[in-house]
Amino acid sequence: MPGWIEILLRSVTLFFLTLILIRAMGKRNISRLTPFNFVNYVVIAVIAALISVRVIPNIAFGFVALGTWILFAVLLDYLAMKSKWVHDWVNGKETILIKQGKIMEENLARARLTGEELSRALRSKNAFNFSDVEFAVMETTGDINVLLKSDKKPLTPHDLGSKVAPKSEPQTVILDGNVLNEPLSALGLNKEWLKTQLERTGISLENVFLGQVDSSGELYLDLFDDSIQMPQSKVKEMLYANLEKSHADLMTFALETKDQKVKNMYSKNAKKLEQIMKKLEPILLH
Amino acid sequence: MTVSSKVKQTLASLKGAKGTLRIYSTQTQSEKSKSVYKEALQVTDEIIKDLEGRIQTLEFQEPQYKGY
Repeated sequence: MPGWIEILLRSVTLFFLTLILIRAMGKRNISRLTPFNFVNYVVIAVIAALISVRVIPNIAFGFVALGTWILFAVLLDYLAMKSKWVHDWVNGKETILIKQGKIMEENLARARLTGEELSRALRSKNAFNFSDVEFAVMETTGDINVLLKSDKKPLTPHDLGSKVAPKSEPQTVILDGNVLNEPLSALGLNKEWLKTQLERTGISLENVFLGQVDSSGELYLDLFDDSIQMPQSKVKEMLYANLEKSHADLMTFALETKDQKVKNMYSKNAKKLEQIMKKLEPILLH
Repeated sequence: MTVSSKVKQTLASLKGAKGTLRIYSTQTQSEKSKSVYKEALQVTDEIIKDLEGRIQTLEFQEPQYKGY
């Protein structure tokens, strides 16, 4: 067999073999690897390359080495999943760098981190002042995560005591002018619904680059032709305004009538409407 | 404008609101919003019934404005 055909065959086989094996090792973000995982991947890559270009002439020996590195990686991953002890032994433990606002110098030294590097890592987490940091930890992957002091944290609706409507993930139902059936049926809608919605806005399907349905069932469209202004749906605001108007009307009727019984009926209904409007407000106006 | 026609206007706008609420209550994905919409539907329904009753009495009292 000529040399080039052998190398071609080895390369093709190893190409698909490593592809399958690496996929079998699981999904990991390369930048989130622990140092040992990284070494593991590099060794596998190097062995595969060496077999491929015939630096390891005996293909069986090469596969033994490759198999060992992959098998042990998968085995350790599996054991680490089952046992906390193995997990800590393989991956190491996270190191606490700042605790209760105080920098732990010994831990910093153990993590081989200089003060300069720590402050750079904190800056990348938007903590420019050391005094803002309550807690910082170096993960086993070398990432540094920061918990800000509670008065320096970003404001959430919870802090303001205001209610917001629950929102789940939107579904993309049109892409490049094509209807995507799976997300549409996940929402419990069908093509007919989409057709009616498009007809109502007066836009043909071919002109839509992207269509998304949010959790309240509202359709958002982005068109190929950016010169067309899309009317933004104001139905929810209108509905709220409508209810507000009715509430005001009921109050007026209650004031105008002389009959005490009718007056009570009107003001009772006005109160009921006001209560439900308070509950609807976060859903309709935000 | 007579009293009964004003009440009728409010009744109409409440009925419109009820329809929109019903659409949203079936359309929305989140269970929490759905229950709020359902509650709102019930409240508007009760108010609509009260107003309809009131219109009947008004029309009985002022039959000359019936239908307006």
